[in-house]
Formats: sequence, C-alpha cells, structure tokens
Amino acid sequence: MDWNATLEFARGPFFNFALIFFIAGMLYRIANVVFLGWNKDFAKPRASKGNGVVKSYLRGGLILPFFPREKKAFVNNPITFLAGGLFHLSLFVIIFLGAAHMLAWKSLLGFGWWTLPLPIVDFMAAVGIISMVALIINRFNHPVLKRLSGPAEFVNWLLVFLPMLTGYMMTHHMFFEYKVLFSLHMLSIDVLLIWLPLSRISHFVFYFFSRTIHGVEWGKRGAMP
Amino acid sequence: MTDETIYRHMQDEGVSRRDFLKMCGLVVGAMGMTKMPPLDASGLPASLNKVDKSTLNHVAEAMETKPRIPVIWLEFQDCTGCSEALTRANAPTLSNLVLNTLTIEHHEALSAAAGFQVEEAKQQAMKKYAGQYVLVVEGSIPTGEFAAYCSVGGRSAEEILKEAAAGAAAVIAVGSCASYGGLPAADPNPTQAVGVMDLIKDKPVVNIPGCPAIPEATVGVITHFAIFGTLPELDELHRPKTFYGTTVHDRCLRRPFYEAGKFALSFDDEGAKQGWCLYKLGCKGPTTHNSCATIRWDSGLSFPIQSNHPCLGCSEPNFWDGGGFYQGQSTPLEKPTLGTVGAAGAAGLAIGAGMAAAAKAKKEK
Amino acid sequence: MTDKTMDVFVKKTGGWAASQLEACTRCGLCAEACPYYLATGNPDYTPIWKVELLSRAYQQRFTLVGKVKTALGFNKPITDEEIKDWSMIDFNACSMCGKCAAVCPMGIEIPKLIGTVRAGVNAAGYAPEGLKSKAKAQDEFGSPNGDTVDAYKEWFASAKEKVGIDVPVDVKGAEILVVFTNLEISTKKSNLYDLAKILEAAGISWTTSLEARDAFNMGKIIGDGKLKKKLLMRIYNAAVELGVKKVLVTECGHGFVALRDDLPEVVGKALPFEVIHIAGLLPDLIAEGKIKVQAGKFANGKTYTFHDSCKIQRTGGYFEEPRDALKILVGESNLKDMASNREEGLCCGGGGGLRAIPEAKDNRMAAFKLKLHELEEVKADVVVSTCDNCQLQIKDGLNFYEVEDVEVKGLIEMVADALIV
Repeated sequence: MDWNATLEFARGPFFNFALIFFIAGMLYRIANVVFLGWNKDFAKPRASKGNGVVKSYLRGGLILPFFPREKKAFVNNPITFLAGGLFHLSLFVIIFLGAAHMLAWKSLLGFGWWTLPLPIVDFMAAVGIISMVALIINRFNHPVLKRLSGPAEFVNWLLVFLPMLTGYMMTHHMFFEYKVLFSLHMLSIDVLLIWLPLSRISHFVFYFFSRTIHGVEWGKRGAMP
Repeated sequence: MTDETIYRHMQDEGVSRRDFLKMCGLVVGAMGMTKMPPLDASGLPASLNKVDKSTLNHVAEAMETKPRIPVIWLEFQDCTGCSEALTRANAPTLSNLVLNTLTIEHHEALSAAAGFQVEEAKQQAMKKYAGQYVLVVEGSIPTGEFAAYCSVGGRSAEEILKEAAAGAAAVIAVGSCASYGGLPAADPNPTQAVGVMDLIKDKPVVNIPGCPAIPEATVGVITHFAIFGTLPELDELHRPKTFYGTTVHDRCLRRPFYEAGKFALSFDDEGAKQGWCLYKLGCKGPTTHNSCATIRWDSGLSFPIQSNHPCLGCSEPNFWDGGGFYQGQSTPLEKPTLGTVGAAGAAGLAIGAGMAAAAKAKKEK
Repeated sequence: MTDKTMDVFVKKTGGWAASQLEACTRCGLCAEACPYYLATGNPDYTPIWKVELLSRAYQQRFTLVGKVKTALGFNKPITDEEIKDWSMIDFNACSMCGKCAAVCPMGIEIPKLIGTVRAGVNAAGYAPEGLKSKAKAQDEFGSPNGDTVDAYKEWFASAKEKVGIDVPVDVKGAEILVVFTNLEISTKKSNLYDLAKILEAAGISWTTSLEARDAFNMGKIIGDGKLKKKLLMRIYNAAVELGVKKVLVTECGHGFVALRDDLPEVVGKALPFEVIHIAGLLPDLIAEGKIKVQAGKFANGKTYTFHDSCKIQRTGGYFEEPRDALKILVGESNLKDMASNREEGLCCGGGGGLRAIPEAKDNRMAAFKLKLHELEEVKADVVVSTCDNCQLQIKDGLNFYEVEDVEVKGLIEMVADALIV
C-alpha cells in the first residue's frame, strides 16, 4: 500500500470533502430542527429564565460530569459519570490544547492559541482512551445501556475511538510507521467527520438546544435554585 | 574484478597502516555498525566469522582481503548537490575512500575527460566489470513521452539507466530525486519524473534520500557494499535502517522544549532566540526519517533545526507537495474555501429548512 | 390505530421536541433518577426509552437519515403491539415526576416528551382502562369521580355548619378564585373548612366557582388534548367572568401546572390573572403577617420532614416557601430534609394518574418503598406535603408496608390548626 498517497489523500481531498460534508450536514441538522416551528411561551415566569439558563449550563457543563448533584444516580452508575466526564474533558484538552491540533485549527481558522505541554496532553489522551474502553464495557454490561443501544451506538463509539487510538499510537511511534498511523489517524477523522452529522455524536450542537430549553423551563418555574 | 584488495590499493597510494586503521574506525562509525552483518552471502573468508572480534577488526580484515569494487555514477535530473555534499563530507578520508580509492570508474561531474571520451570510458568499464560494479544514480528520470527532457549523448536518461543497471550488482539512488523523483517530480511533474526504484525492479536498489543526501550515509552504504558485498539492512522504502531508522524529531536537540510545550511562534520572537522547539513554525521533524540531528552537516557543525529553521522533511517522499513548509504537518493539505463552505452550508441549510417546512405543513394540515 | 398515533406524534413535534430528541446521547443516566426503574430494575422503564416511539416517529417522518434508515429496514414502522407495550411503560411505570430531567446531562425535558407519547397511545385507544373511565367521567360530570355540581354545592354549604363561614360562590370582583380538586371532596373535605378559616382570617376577598370547581385535569394526564382544553377553559372562563386577580389551586399538582404553564398556550395569550398555589400563598401570608400562627405549635418532639411533590415543588418551584412556614410551625430543629430533596426530590410513586390504574399498583408500591426508605433514614414521625395526591399515596404506601408510626399531614390543616384568630 502506498502510504504516502494515502496520507496525501486523507489530509487533502478526502479531508476537504469530509469537512464540507460535515459543515453542510450539521447546518442541515440544525435547520431541520430550528425551522420546525416553536410555540410561543405566554406563561408568566415565576422567576428569571436567564438565571435558569446560566445555572443550567453551570450544572450541565461543569459540575455534572464529576460532581453529580444527584448522588444516588452517581452511585448507581459511576462509570458513565466518571468515564463520560473524563472522556469529554480529555477530548477538549486534546482537540483544543494539543499543539498539533491547534495548528490544524490555525490553518483552518487563521489564528492560533496557547497549547499545553505534550506530557499533559499525552496523559489526557491515555485517560480518554481508558475512559472510552470503560464506557464500551459498561455499555455491554449495564441493562439500561443494553436496552438503549442499537448498532449506531457502537459505530459511534468505534469511530470516535479510532482517531484517539491512532493519534495516541502516532505520538508514541507504536507498532507502525509514523506515516501509516498518521494516514490511519487522518482517515479515521475524515470518516468521523462524515459520520458526525448522521449520528447522535452531533449532540455537541443539540446540547446547547436542550440545555437552554432546560434552563428556560426550570428557570421560569423557579425550580433552579 | 581487479585483483588488488582495498588495503593493497591504499598502500600503493601511500596510506600508512595507522591511517588505514583509523579509516576503518571511521567506516565502522559512519555505518553505525555495532554488529557485523551476516557474512555468508558476502563472499568473505570464513575465518572472519568469529564472534569475539570487534567490528573494527572485521572491517580492517575485510578491507585487507576483499577485492575493491568499481563504482559507476550517473547523473540525470539533478543539481549535483549530492555529489557536492559528498566532496565536503565530514571525514575527508572517507570521501577520499569513495571517490578515489574505490575507483569511481565513471562520474560525469568529477571526470577530467568529456564528451565521447567519457562515454567511451563508461562503456568500457561497464563491459569490464559487468555484474560486479555498483551503480550510483543521482537525479530523477523523466519517463514516457517526456523521456527526452534528460538526454546524454543523444540517449534518454531512462535508456542509459536501464543499460547501466543491467550489469550492476546493486543500484544506489542518492538524494531525494533519485529516490522518489524529488523536486523535478513536484506537482504538476512536467517531465513525469520518477525515482530509480520505479524503473529498476530486478536489481537491489538502495535509497539514500535527502536534499542533499547526507554524505556520511552515501559513503556508509557504498563502503558497506564495497567491504561486505551486501547491502545494509533496508526498510520498506529501501532506506538503510542505520541512517533512517529514527526521525529527526527523535534525536533533535530541541526535543525537550517540545515535550515541555515551549515553542517559538515566529522566527524573531523570544522563543526563537531561546532555541525553543520549531514545531509550530512547521517543523516536519516528527515525520522525517533521517540522521540530520545526529550526524549533522559540514563536519558535524550544524543542521537546519540547530540553525533555527524548521525541518522541511526533505528526505521524505513527496515532501515537495506536502503542504506549506511553515505550516505544521498536522494541518490539512487541502481546505475548503469560503465559497465552497458557503455553498455547501447554504445547501445544507436549504435542505434542512425545506424538510422542516414540509414537515410543518404536514403538521398543520 | 397506528395512524392516529403517528398523527399525534407528527402534530406535537416542533422544534422544541425535535431538538431535544436529537440531543439524547443514550447515556442511560435518566434511568438512575426514575423511581420505577430503581425499584424494579426493569430497563424498559428507562425514561428516555419511554420516548422511543416518539423518537422513531420523528426520525421516520422528519429526518433524511431516518428516512434512509426506514427504507433500509433499520427503523421499522410502529405497530399496534408496540403501542400497547409503550402504554404499559408510559402509563403504568411513569408518574411524570421529571426527576430524569434534573439528572440528564443534556437537560432533556423527558416528562413532556412522555406526555406526547401518552397522547399518541391514548389516540390509538390503548390508554389504561382505569384512566379512560376517569377521563370519560370527567368529560361527562366534570369530575373524574363523578361528583356533580350538586355535590360541590352541598360541600360548599356545609362550611357554615362546620366552621361558621359562608363560602362565597361565584362572587364577582373577588381577589382570589379558589379551585379545589375532586380528591378533596372525596377524601379530605376538611381542606375547604381549613382554607376558609385561613382566608377569612387574612381578610382576603375570595370566591369559589361552580363552573371552575375542579382543577383536576384528566385530559392532561391521559394525553387527550381536547378534554384538557375543555377542562382548562372551564376555569379560564369562570376566572375571566368573575374578574379575579388570582386563581388559587389548593392541592392539585398537575392541575396547577396545567393552569399556569399550559393554559396560556391553549388560549394563545398571557393570562389576565395569576395562578398560585397554597404552597406559595400560605407561607406568604405568614411571612407578610396577614395571618398569625402560633410558632412552635407542632414542636412536640416529633421529627417532621417535607415531601417535595413533583408538580408543585420540582415543576412549580415552591421549594423554600412551605419549608419556611414549617420551620415556624414545628421549630427549625424538628424539620429534617430527606436525602433527596427539592428539585431532586424522590417521587411518592403515585403521580401521573398511577393511582387510578389498578394494574400499576405493584409499580406504585415498589416506587414508594424507595420513599419509605428515605423517610426511615431521617426517622420522620410526620411527613408534610402540599399535594393531596402525594398524601394519599403515602398513606396507601404506609398501609401497604404496615408502617404505623408515620403520620401524613397537609400544610393547610397545619396552618389552620396553628391559626391565631
């Protein structure tokens, strides 16, 4: 196999296509929901909706993954809380604060930012990978997750796991040549980009819808102290 | 094959035993030999095959007993940079060894003769040493309808190469051009240039990529063949593992700064002055297999990164088309323009909004 | 029958529902909040799984990917059998308590989506018989238990004899219109007398209405939009006709939420009156000094705990007000919160119409066991609630598990008892 050509394809036209597909697909998904019509809310709010929205994000974004307010839910399913939270944290650290990824963002956006030293990013990557393994094992074992999971959930997991695994192997020059792993890394990212708008991984957009709705609903009732 | 051994030849040239042994040490060092290659195939006396001997002794004995090997050096679409580098190699004795002692029977740039004379000499050498000589190639070869773009004496480079390779014991492609096509093959590759290994399939081919190739690597490989009659261990891109086994990044003197996350962000910032890592200025060190960081250039004086310039990755295939030199290697090679993003985004929005509107209409029906 | 279900799903899915259906990541954490899942361990009771039908319908009708999946056979059309199955989990194992929304990392408002599924199931005619008969009764007589206008008239009139107060009926220009529930007329008539005492003591001009006599709304519970609208409009029209400033719901939880949050959507404009609940009014009256209560009236060494009802507290937002009042009545040190409290309060297990479904009794009692455990944890002697349905369920549960040393009290009766006239 000609890995140079593969790498050029994966970094070049395929990535280009995948990115365009991703952007168009996500905009389609958002438009498909936004233009479905929204009922106007005439109910007189008992308390501030804005306060509710702020609290909703504080709880959902920062606190929930690690310090669940609902302790019983945590005790019953700690893997989803811990591994899920750690996975997302590691994902953000790697994607935004890893030097290599920042350079990719820079070339796409035109501006760059500060990055973390490699050992920290590397550690977070290991944490992310371990978390993902824990999550999939949990998904196979937990009765609720077994009930909720269809084939798509496992494809989601695989397509997110592959870039993480190949990326980690690449930084450590494990088993294969760098460009082989780099090619696989880029290919898996391209496939992921195409899969994203077709799957529930797009929750990174709808998160903001549902969190805002939650904040508005609970805020206006005054149930968000 | 000439009857005289390398040592014998050197004695004739006036090299003392002491200088000879020093040179043997350099050869061992240059090839990074910590252990001997298997001797069975080399045609060397079985008496050498003793484990307790140091590699230096092996090399010295080999040179004393082994007949010297002729080299034919061809140049095609090149800049003679690799030859130039060789004449300025780290160890003058070594390049001397290659250029004089090993009998370069034919080298256009270094030859005193010219024109028909030199062609004549080459044909004679090829005939005389048929099946024994080492063919060194510098520069890429134009192919197909563009073959005529590089011709010598009215014959195309492809023809000359194939003719010379037919009688060679091994072919060594020196420099990125001869290895992978190099700059002449850069997009759009106007001469359809290719590297040696794309044309020569029936002979062992060694690639020593680099722009230019590190002379110590060139010397090391030629000497290896001259001494042992075999090629050093190669990777899947036909590169000697001794010189291309690790990346520039692996051995880089600025590697600690990479690990610590200290990067120069422009060529004149404080980080650049402090000698911090050049990764964010587009250094390709992590993907570039070469020994620049260890052997360095000009008698071990420096190499690009030491001189505050990011690695361009010149010894990797397709480095010439591999994206901007000053962009990180993690950056995409192609990215959508605002126009395509806008068009695709608009299409996505339109489909989404259209479907939503249709659904809404159905809802209200 | 599936067509009717699909029609309901399609009609009710707007951007609000769609964006939340899209947001689910299948993490399964909502299950850890659901009393029915926790009590039974049945993964079918996972809150978001209760919405699966709606989710599938949404994909089939609204999204490209879903249409492709449907064409390829990955997303099968909804069958009658499935609607029956979902009737079992959406009606018999869900009290719409909404704790799942508090736990959901994405903040999905699962109960409202379950409400849509209930509507779809009901449209196909597969709602539980117990609920269907109550809905029919309320459609016919105005009250799910069949209490007619005359029964209410009689009840209102009986206050004269009991506490010596003439209950005002249909008085125009009163400040507050009080709306009772059928649970009070059938099981807790004293609420009227107690409330009358309090309101008279506070000197508030109030009235009841024979038209708007019952806040209970079977339409909301069973998911029948028409019935819900009819019952809501009854109260709306009466309130507008009487020109009241506030509508006070006594103890009914879902009826209160339906009036406050759903009615504006039904009439399509902001309400000309305010909808309040006694859980907010009584503490306010005490705090503002409009009524005087004997502080520490119930400080008799017993431990009190406050049960957070899903509709009044979690959905209504009255977390602190009733607690403030209780602190005065029982003494601050005697009031202890259960492990799950306020917006995380654990459901009593009997909301969402479950008490009217005989087949759901196992689930109902299993869920109450969790509540009982929390009650025992704080060693509560008395559990106070502002919801009549919760009080009935807790009493049921205590009987079922033969716990005799725990008392159930409503806030109204406690305030009335402590009232200094």
